[in-house]
Order: sequence, then C-alpha cells, then structure tokens
Amino acid sequence: MSEQVIIKISNLTKYYKRSDEPAIDHLSLDIQQNEIFGLLGPNGAGKTTTISILCGLFPPSEGDVIIDGLDLHSNREKIKHLIGIVPQEVALYPTLTGLENLQFFGNMYGLRGKELKDRINEYLVRFGLEKFARKKVISYSGGMKRRVNLIAGLLHKPKILFLDEPTVGIDVQSRNVILEFLHDLRDKGTTIIYTSHYMEEAEKLCSRVVIVDQGKLIAIGNPKLLVAENPEFKSLETMFLHLTGTGLRD
Amino acid sequence: MFKFFAAFRKEWLILERDFAGLMLLFLMPMVMVIILSMVQEMGWSTMAKEPQMPVLFLNNDKDSLGNMMERGLVEAKIFALVQTIDSVPLSQELLRKLVRDGEYQIGIIIPENTSRRIRAKIQLLVNKTMTSLMMPGNKLFEGITNTDSVEIMVYFDPAVKKTFHNAFISAAREFSSKIESRMIFETFQEELRKMFPNFTMPVTEYQQSVQYSEIYPSGEVEEILPSTTQHNVPSWAIFAMFFIIVPLTSSIIKEREEGSLIRLMTIPVSYMTIFMAKVGVYLVVCIIQFILMVLAGIYLLPLFNMPPLDTGSNYLGIALMTVSASLAALGYGIMVGTIAKTHQQAAAFGAVSIVVLAALGGLWVPVYLMGNLMRHVATFSPLNWAHEGFIDLFLRGSTLQGILPEIGKLTIFFVITIIIAIVYRTLKPPIST
Repeated sequence: MSEQVIIKISNLTKYYKRSDEPAIDHLSLDIQQNEIFGLLGPNGAGKTTTISILCGLFPPSEGDVIIDGLDLHSNREKIKHLIGIVPQEVALYPTLTGLENLQFFGNMYGLRGKELKDRINEYLVRFGLEKFARKKVISYSGGMKRRVNLIAGLLHKPKILFLDEPTVGIDVQSRNVILEFLHDLRDKGTTIIYTSHYMEEAEKLCSRVVIVDQGKLIAIGNPKLLVAENPEFKSLETMFLHLTGTGLRD
Repeated sequence: MFKFFAAFRKEWLILERDFAGLMLLFLMPMVMVIILSMVQEMGWSTMAKEPQMPVLFLNNDKDSLGNMMERGLVEAKIFALVQTIDSVPLSQELLRKLVRDGEYQIGIIIPENTSRRIRAKIQLLVNKTMTSLMMPGNKLFEGITNTDSVEIMVYFDPAVKKTFHNAFISAAREFSSKIESRMIFETFQEELRKMFPNFTMPVTEYQQSVQYSEIYPSGEVEEILPSTTQHNVPSWAIFAMFFIIVPLTSSIIKEREEGSLIRLMTIPVSYMTIFMAKVGVYLVVCIIQFILMVLAGIYLLPLFNMPPLDTGSNYLGIALMTVSASLAALGYGIMVGTIAKTHQQAAAFGAVSIVVLAALGGLWVPVYLMGNLMRHVATFSPLNWAHEGFIDLFLRGSTLQGILPEIGKLTIFFVITIIIAIVYRTLKPPIST
C-alpha cells in the first residue's frame, strides 16, 4: 500500500450560520492513497460537514484542504473529476428506473455510449441488480436503492470515493455485498473515505479510523491497533463510547 | 451540449411519467378558458347583444316621447322593458318598491302629459322665433315664458353595475333629445305650412346628420371584433403559462429534497446546464399548452355559442411571443423554486404572486379601466407585457416590429431571473451552511 498522502486537511474549521459552536474545530489529518479511511463519531460530531467540505459543497470557515496535490479552494472543478460521492440519502430520481438513473449520472460525468453501458452492466451484475434495472427506483427495496446509490457515485471510476453511511438501514446481505465491493475497490487503487455508526463494520473495513466529537479529533489510527494499544477496551465500540461518552446526542 | 440533452431527457422522463400531472397541465387551462369565456360571454352578451337587462317602464305619457323612448330602448337591444308584473300593469308605487327591494335594478317613469308639455314649450319658442322673424318689433310674446320643467324619473338600485347605469342614462338622454329635435322640426314645419300653404318642405323627416363609422386603424383586422374569445384566450393562455411555476418549483424542490441536487453539485456539471434542461422541457409544455388553448379558442369555443378565436396572420410573431412569454414564466419559476425553502413556500408564493401579477397585468380587468397609479404599476408585470403582445397580434394586427418591445422585455426578464437563480444557488448551496 502506498504511503502517499492524497488528502491533506489542515486546521479545518466550520461555523454554521447562527451558531457559536464550530461544527468542525481545527481538524487536521492526512488520508493516504488506497486506504479505506473511517470517519467515526456520534450524531453532530461533524462527519457529514467534513465530507461536504471535502466534496466542495461549501467552503470551510478556516483551514486548508489539499486533494491529490490540488488546493480545494482554487481547484474545485478539477477536483470534481477526481471524486465520487455516495450521499447519506438515496440521491436518485424515484420515478426513473435504476438504469435511467445510472445513465443520467454517467452522462453528467461525461460518460456515454458503449463505455457507459459496459460500466453500468458490470456494476448491475456485481450488485445483483441486472433484473431490476428497468424497474422504477420507487419500487426498489431499501437495500436495492442503497446499491444503485453506490453505483451512481462509482460510474466514472473516481480516484477518491466518499461514502456517507452507505450501509444504514439495509439488510445483512446487501451490507455484505457493499463491504466486499469496497475492499475490491480499494485493492484496485481507489481511496475510500467512509462514515458510519457501525463500529464493528468500521473495525473490519477500515485501514485507519478517526474518531471525532464536537468537531474535534479525539483518536486516529488503525482500529485494531487502537484497541490493542488500549487493552482496557474490548472493542472499537467500547473505546468509542469511552471517548465520546454514553450521553444521548441530538 | 451533450450534458444538456442528457439532463433534458431525464426531465422529460420524469414529467412524462407523471401522467396525471401532465394532463392537468394541458387540460386545466383549456377547461378554464372555456368556462371563463362562457361566464364572461354571458356578461358580454348582456352588455352588447341580448336584451337581457330588465327595466321597469311606466309610460304614463302615452304620447310621442313615451312611445318613442319605449321603441328606442327596445331597439337598443340592451334592455328588456317590463310594463306588467304578473299581468298587473305597473304603477308608480309598485315600480318604486320593486327597485327599492332590488328585484329590478332600473325603473323609469315618464309622467303624464310629458310630450304635451314639451310641445307647449317648443310651440312658444317657435312662435317667438317666427314672430321676431316675420314681424320684427312685434311684442306679442314679450315677457311670456314657460318655466314648466319636464322631469323623467329614473330609479336605480344602488347595486346596479356602473356600466348599465351609464348605458341607460345615455340611451335615455339620446332618445329624449332626438324626440325634442324632431318636435322642434315638426313645429316649425307646421308653422311654415300655416303661413305658406302652397310651400312644400324639401325634407319631410328629420335625419341625424352625424353618423358614426367604426374603424380599426390597423386596417387588416377591422373585421375582428373584440369578443370575449379574443380577450380571454390570450389572457388565460398567459395565466396558464405562468402557472407552470407550480409544477416547475415542485420539480426543483423535489430534486433538492431527494438529494439528487447535492450529488449533481459534486459532479462537473454547471447549474446553467441543470436549469436550462428544465427550461427546455417546460418550454415544450408551455408551447403545447398555448397551442391547445388556441385550438380550443378556434374549434371548441364556437361549440359553446361563442365566437371563434381569430389569431390574425402574423404566425412568426405569435411563435416568438409564445416562446418569450414562456421563457419569462420559466425564468420566474426557476428563480422561485431555487429561493423557496419548501414546497409549501413555493406553491403558496408562486401561485399567489402569479394571481397578483395577472391582476396587475390587466389579464382580468383591462389596464385602461384602472386608475393612474395601477396603470403605471401594470407596466411592471411580465404578464402585462405578454398580454399586450398577444393583444397587439390578435386584435391590432401588429407587425413583428410592433411586438419587439414586449419580446425584448420578456427575454430580459428571463435572463435576469435565471442569473438570480444561478447566483443564489452558487452562494447558497442546497444544504444548510
């Protein structure tokens, strides 16, 4: 695995309007090429805000982000070609078929013709959706929607893939297919930045995780090593609860 | 361009699959134009064609003035004279009561001997004139005056429409002055005949010398009468075009709420492409809507006893007006859909603002009937620009050059609203910051 830094976050801070508390508070970290990097934290910790900034959806209040050697602030359009995003919501058009959704998002990435058709077919087969491709998304199960949602972010074969809770609310089978696929994708050279509330899943999937709470970095490292270095915690989940507390969050 | 066509296809598929919504977009305006034209046609007919306004008429004179006014009001075809109620002849008290109770809006009483009293006044005037002419210095009629005033009583229900009030008063005045003129003429004739028994009058009946010709300065369209169809079809077609704001804003907000817009924002595609694809699809809808409205005006309205729509012959002008009015409507819809935070906001503001702009723009009440201030305000409504353009084409037979100012204003409005939408979306991403 290459040790090259593909995303460098320095002093990243974000204040939302009408809020005195920062959603992200001077966050600094490096993400290596070809790693599956887990961004973990309770609700409101700043995970989605961090991913939104990295995807160029809105600017930070302070701090710098360098993606694949390009400053995010001045190279937003170039960076869009490098990244893929799988949002937390199923960001698809429900009255279009799965195939039509994928054709549309592929076209938006500039893909067309045989190249696009082959890629769509490859992913549909891989995710067991080929029989349902011509059915409207509105008729899909939650797991099927999540799988199409994932494919839509992958069609252009991005160098960096952002996944915001991609396995939330789906059955074990769908989750298993997605996680296996992410491993394969990493092996083929894609860097994956992934947020989840499932600690066990993150422990298995990620080469490194960062735990954030109230916008601040609390712990970072390989999940297995983090647990091994702190033998008082039996798992990443117990460590997570210890670090972020057991109180309920909004 | 490839991305635009892909986005256009996506928009089209989404719209096409909402079959009920699509049918509503096409059928509702047609239903609206038919119903409203029929409703207004009734009012229009009352004003212009059918003798439908009942007027209580009590002719106690039963002589020249009373009889002629009766004939004149019937011939005017605006009023239906009512002289008996349940076979009982009208009386002054009954007439007054019926108007006071609002059962009838207008009542007229021509008192007894009205014609005789007018004749007496005229006779004195003629005698004075003839004496001073034939026997200068004769003081036979000096100091004799007739101060007897003739009063015709017209009763109005306070709720009567101003138009009927004015129409009735001016018709009554016209007939009474006609009768007076005729009486003067006849009295002079009579006096001259007495003086010169062998003298034959060159004319035996007084003819009005002033005649009115109806001329439409645009020449070519002088036969197009300003019917309800000519007014309603363009008005409601424009209203329907702008009402596209409701499905258009819904499409924009749905895309945002479903998260697709967020995904699109991370893809190398511009807002311009996304917005213009929507404009393209809904422009097709607006054009189809307009064609259907025009076809309804030409073929359907006559089935309901209304005059057919005459579009004139400037088809290029009509096409350009349709496209520019549609673009203005779509630009406004894109802007409202982008700025509104929820479906409710967009639907409520969008619908109400279109109703207000339509009212201000003279779609319901002609601008020339508005006060000075509102007439000035009307010129700021894009619906007024579109309406003026179509009225120019349909009623005034305008050339392409004649409607260029309207086309220009509508196109500029479209450009400005799209720029506002793009700038707003760029500065304010669809997720809270």
